[in-house]
Amino acid sequence: MSDFAGMEDLLQDFLQEAGDLLSDVDNKLVDLEKSPDDRGLLNDIFRGFHTIKGGAGFLNATELVTLCHRTETLFDKLRNGELALSPELMDMIMAATKGVRDMFGDLSSGVQPSPAPADLLVSLKAAAEGQPKPDADADANAEAAPQGNASGANGPDWEALHAAVSGQPQTAVSGEVIPAAAARSDAGSGAHDAGSNEARSNVPAVPPAQKSGGAGGGGRRVDVARENTIRVDTARLDQVLNLSGEIGLTKNRLTSLRADILAGKNDSETLHALDQAISQLDLLVSDLQNSVMKTRMQPIGRLFQKYPRIARDLARQLGKDVELVLAGEETEVDKNMIEDLSDPLIHLIRNAVDHGVESPEERAAAGKSSKSLVRLEARQEGDHIVIIVADDGHGMAPEAIRAKAVEKGLISEEEANTLDDRQSFNLILLPGFSTKTQISDVSGRGVGMDVVKTNIQKLNGSIEIRSEIGKGSVFLISLPLTLAILPVLLVLLGEQPFALPLSLVREILPIERDKVQEVGGKSTLVVRGEILPVIPLVRLLGWQQERYPEYGVLMQTAERSFILGVDSFAGRDDAVIKSLEDFRPHGVAGVTTLSNGQIVLILDMRELLTDPNNAMSGRAPALEAS
Amino acid sequence: MPDSKMKILVVDDFSTMRRIVRNLLKELGFTNIDEAEDGAIALQKLNGDTFEFVITDWNMPNMDGLTLLQTVRSTPTLKHLPVLMITAEAKKENIIAAAQAGASGYIVKPFTAATLSEKLNKIFEKMAAA
Repeated sequence: MSDFAGMEDLLQDFLQEAGDLLSDVDNKLVDLEKSPDDRGLLNDIFRGFHTIKGGAGFLNATELVTLCHRTETLFDKLRNGELALSPELMDMIMAATKGVRDMFGDLSSGVQPSPAPADLLVSLKAAAEGQPKPDADADANAEAAPQGNASGANGPDWEALHAAVSGQPQTAVSGEVIPAAAARSDAGSGAHDAGSNEARSNVPAVPPAQKSGGAGGGGRRVDVARENTIRVDTARLDQVLNLSGEIGLTKNRLTSLRADILAGKNDSETLHALDQAISQLDLLVSDLQNSVMKTRMQPIGRLFQKYPRIARDLARQLGKDVELVLAGEETEVDKNMIEDLSDPLIHLIRNAVDHGVESPEERAAAGKSSKSLVRLEARQEGDHIVIIVADDGHGMAPEAIRAKAVEKGLISEEEANTLDDRQSFNLILLPGFSTKTQISDVSGRGVGMDVVKTNIQKLNGSIEIRSEIGKGSVFLISLPLTLAILPVLLVLLGEQPFALPLSLVREILPIERDKVQEVGGKSTLVVRGEILPVIPLVRLLGWQQERYPEYGVLMQTAERSFILGVDSFAGRDDAVIKSLEDFRPHGVAGVTTLSNGQIVLILDMRELLTDPNNAMSGRAPALEAS
Repeated sequence: MPDSKMKILVVDDFSTMRRIVRNLLKELGFTNIDEAEDGAIALQKLNGDTFEFVITDWNMPNMDGLTLLQTVRSTPTLKHLPVLMITAEAKKENIIAAAQAGASGYIVKPFTAATLSEKLNKIFEKMAAA
């Protein structure tokens, strides 16, 4: 089935590296629009296409070679100042980049790419030759594919040229070059067929043999399969190797100590050595866990770099002037998470460009700069990754959103009246909600935002919306750093332990009954001048409250600080999270096993704090089991 | 016949391409291979170690293959090193430029192990004759 039997490894390497290269080219193209004369940029983009072409040649991907070659030729003229960049040229280049990306899609599903659109190839060539209007048919027929896949094409008679230039007498071997050169001209005419075949040409061209597997034409673009390989910094791998070596040594030490102890040796020296070896093992294992986790971490910039181009294309289509500003690209995120974030982020960015920001005219009328800014930012906060998509557009009116939700029958009038602004913004995450009456073909089909939310929740993350009229909207996504290991604080309710994410814990304090004050029907405690609500864990779990909590855990989430009331503590632990995939009760992030074999629930504080009976809480109302 | 233990430096900014060249060389029996990502890094490696052969891409950031070649030829300790240029272009200007800069050979992408072997052998023969 695959056109690349025996070359799978090479293909994988190529796709990964060339994919990064193309994303980089995409970004540089966006920059190039702002400074069209930047020689450095032109050179870099030229080299990008050139390098992809070189690699594609070894994969026999003739069509990819052709497309890259045409684009590269155009950039060669641009960087030499023979041509000037025009908006039409820019669109053509963008189309070529997209063509290359589509071909990568074909390659990743194991088929040779089909030819790029004939008109694109022809206009690229015409543009490089400085012709304003391409004469499609004539050019398409006159085409000769560059390079082609003519294996054995050695180029011109190098030895002869070399001898001529360097003045050396030709050696006897140079005679062999002649047949090679002749072969080349044959191969060249074969490539000519491939070239003319790409247009709806009247020359009945014979497709080159190696294309036979891929000659399916359109409709063949298959979804790009998820990458199942990962690139890891060798330094990180070395660290894993070192640690596993050291663990091996410690294991040997323990084995020998065990033999001693079993033989009845239990003097203090032996026990001390045992204690030392176990402490060391403890340290090494946690280092190893960290190192292994790090091998899965990838800079989120690899994901971000796709977006400036998407934002730019969309803004152009809508007649808006938008700049997507990236920040925190070096932030590292689990590889699987990066892939699952791709679609939600695309949606949020499209949403910001389409619905968030205004047209230049509206902005001028509102006294804003005509260029709108959309900010895409990532950063690490404790054990969470925060991703922000912010625009400086017109913002959202909570009243308008509430009214719309009532009109759509998503909530009742009474429910709407009880919602505060933050809860109102969350309404847009409900399935079937779309504030724009007029549906554009870009976003706003009424599906989307709820999908964004579902995807984020699958990653144990949450999304929060802030907005200010006239100033813009902010979508804040909060995700766990990794799906693997979580440092936890173990608290007790009676005899039952629960695990709390340690990252949220600020301090532990005793709750003295006489210091607790009732404010507006709620228990509060003043800690260093700060009034904090006391929330007994039993109440959050919906249990019967038998006694007043003795200890408080001062916790801080992104939105609020509070004191969680518990009976007692059982220490801290590094929990290896086992997720409860099909059966996940509200407020439970997963389970872990303690060193004594006991199973403990890990609580999701954010989810616990949202009232499960409230339609605005963490989940869609339909899924709510109250 | 050339020594298969001969130390070869492969210079290319595209790691996939370095791997391709490395694999082709392996097919020909050469195993003592080091890599560099551009001309500048290659030069560092060449100055810091003893290489017997250089295979370099032309178009690279920081320092391109032609500049690398010119620098090698103007460095007394390196000037006798054989340098094989790899490029995607079969343009006459390029070949002349490479020849004038003192390239030992010139090979156009894509190529097979057989083509590479032929090019290498020609260079070895010339070296032996010199």
